[in-house]
Amino acid sequence: MSDGTNTSPKRGGFQFKVRGPQDFYGGLALIVVAILAVIASSNLPGQQGFAFGPGTAPRIFAGMLAFVGAVVALTGLLVDGPKIERFAIKGPTYVVAAILLFAAMIRGISLGPIHIPALGLIISTYTAFIVSIMGSTEMRWVESLIAAACMTLFCVILFVYLLGLPFQLWPWY
Amino acid sequence: MDFFDNLALGLSVAFTPNNLLWCFVGVTLGTFIGVLPGIGSLTAISLLLPVTFHLDATSAIVMLAGVFYGSTYGGSTAAILLNLPGTPSTAVTALDGYPMAREGRAGVALFMTTVASFVGGSIGILVMMFFSPMIVSAALQFGPAEYFAMMVLGLVAASTISSGSPVKGIAMVVLGVMLGVVGSDIETGTPRFTFGIPHLYDGISLVAIAMGLFGVSEVIISIKMIKRGHIEHKNITLRSMIPTRDDVRRSWMPMLRGSSIGSFFGALPGTGGVIASFMAYAVEKKVAKEPERFGKGAIEGIMAPETANNAADQTAFIPTLTLGIPGNVVMALMLGALMIHGIVPGPQLMVKNPDLFWGLIMSFWIGNLMLLVLNIPLIGVWIRVLMIPYHMLYPAVLMFICIGVYSINNSYVDVIAVMVFGGVGYVMRMLDFQPAPLLLGFVLGPLMEENLRRALLISRGDFMVFLERPISGTIVVLTAMLLLLALWGARPKRRGKTLLQDT
Repeated sequence: MSDGTNTSPKRGGFQFKVRGPQDFYGGLALIVVAILAVIASSNLPGQQGFAFGPGTAPRIFAGMLAFVGAVVALTGLLVDGPKIERFAIKGPTYVVAAILLFAAMIRGISLGPIHIPALGLIISTYTAFIVSIMGSTEMRWVESLIAAACMTLFCVILFVYLLGLPFQLWPWY
Repeated sequence: MDFFDNLALGLSVAFTPNNLLWCFVGVTLGTFIGVLPGIGSLTAISLLLPVTFHLDATSAIVMLAGVFYGSTYGGSTAAILLNLPGTPSTAVTALDGYPMAREGRAGVALFMTTVASFVGGSIGILVMMFFSPMIVSAALQFGPAEYFAMMVLGLVAASTISSGSPVKGIAMVVLGVMLGVVGSDIETGTPRFTFGIPHLYDGISLVAIAMGLFGVSEVIISIKMIKRGHIEHKNITLRSMIPTRDDVRRSWMPMLRGSSIGSFFGALPGTGGVIASFMAYAVEKKVAKEPERFGKGAIEGIMAPETANNAADQTAFIPTLTLGIPGNVVMALMLGALMIHGIVPGPQLMVKNPDLFWGLIMSFWIGNLMLLVLNIPLIGVWIRVLMIPYHMLYPAVLMFICIGVYSINNSYVDVIAVMVFGGVGYVMRMLDFQPAPLLLGFVLGPLMEENLRRALLISRGDFMVFLERPISGTIVVLTAMLLLLALWGARPKRRGKTLLQDT
């Protein structure tokens, strides 16, 4: 199990092996969050007599988070655990691209040289659907184009007609 | 108000055309989602949260509840026909349901599981109707100390019992509580962890967290795992659904036992349909005269878990609606949906919003009847749903998320927030941290802080108040015992064996 896992820096000539990398790095991340929380709450007033200040609970919670994070990280150091699987690249990239495209197209956006006008619900949904399906290995063009049209229609019916939301449907309307 | 007045009020609320419509939408969507392996009720409810913004509170909760119990009805269809559980709580149904389908008795199995679901659901609703008023009248005496203690118990139970590692479960709860702190302080209005971003003054949006953790990250994970099962029987006729006299005779007692087990575990915090169905199956196997029939298509093996998980679905609402303590993450989302509509969960809910409470219960009856129709005469439709190509589904889910979250404020910032939480959820899954306890902590965190502050203000800063008051003291001791038990069970062992593997 421990092959291929990273080793932490030498301490006193003894080399530590991370036995459960999932727990170890997860625990470390929690400790980092806890430290950030303590820093971010340092300007909040704390305990006033019997009464909690706005900063009291966040500090208690941050302390607990640091403690539990340390326990998890320590478990990862001492107990064998599964390796971290390789992070996928293709799927997430297309998903993120689809979401960003949708966010940009629905309302229109101007970022430096890029200028996207508001394209409305129908075009945004259709495009983003096609982009996200491109992340799948089993994607076939014809059926995807049809499925995207069906999904767009369904969303228009649900959100615009059933729920009566004021969506802009087309770029010109 | 008298019990029958309440029933009449509930009926009048549940039978308004609007609530009927949303109840129907809920159970139909629930069955749809349940039938599809891979998308659970949790994802479905997260996806529908934005829709509930545009409905009134009662319709919203009626619909979400319909999705929840409807998915358990639908889940058994995939379990029987594909040997894949449509929802986790129908996993045991596949053990005997799939062998039945291979024997050519898929129709009987589908029919009988629907009957079992209906019986379980009905008994669960009855339990809820009779016990909720009692719990409420007791809970009206509770002070902030009791509430705080109960929330801690609920969180500890939910994070240690059903998820893998109890320590990691608790870590996620604490992280959730931490995220719940973001926003203006309830008492002083001081902004906390907002970093000057105006969007954060009202706190992180529940919708963004739920949709990111249970929607987007689900899509990312599933995009690479595309597997199609083989469907045993494509044509299920109504005639093939008729059970033999022997089937019916064998089913009575398992249904009764299943519904008692389900009602019990459903109402307990931390447990629910999954554990209830496992327990019910284990009990049936123990009491059976011929235990060797199990796993080979014994009808008892599908009836007991199917009654148990549906009974559990209904009784899960008891702690949520009477105490405001959600026992599992789906209930936390329901609670969140209620809070979005400005309804404070807790015993006051039944007193102040009897129309919502009794209307919801009555809608359970209507919803269960609708499900009976959806799952028996219309079963052919759902079998066709099983043939939807998988890779079509995820883009659809993704688009639904985008449009839904955008529709809340007409702001693309929310869409980006969902994406960020989707990324966080993906990393969490890769590191084997469960997102469910995080969401529970997030929903309960602010309520916990409020009650903790109040309790300590009343006791003049004395922490002993939690031990000195009898009810909260008992709960604290229970929590401590549960925690020790969970940690003891999770200690590293030579032989890898977990609690549930005995079944």
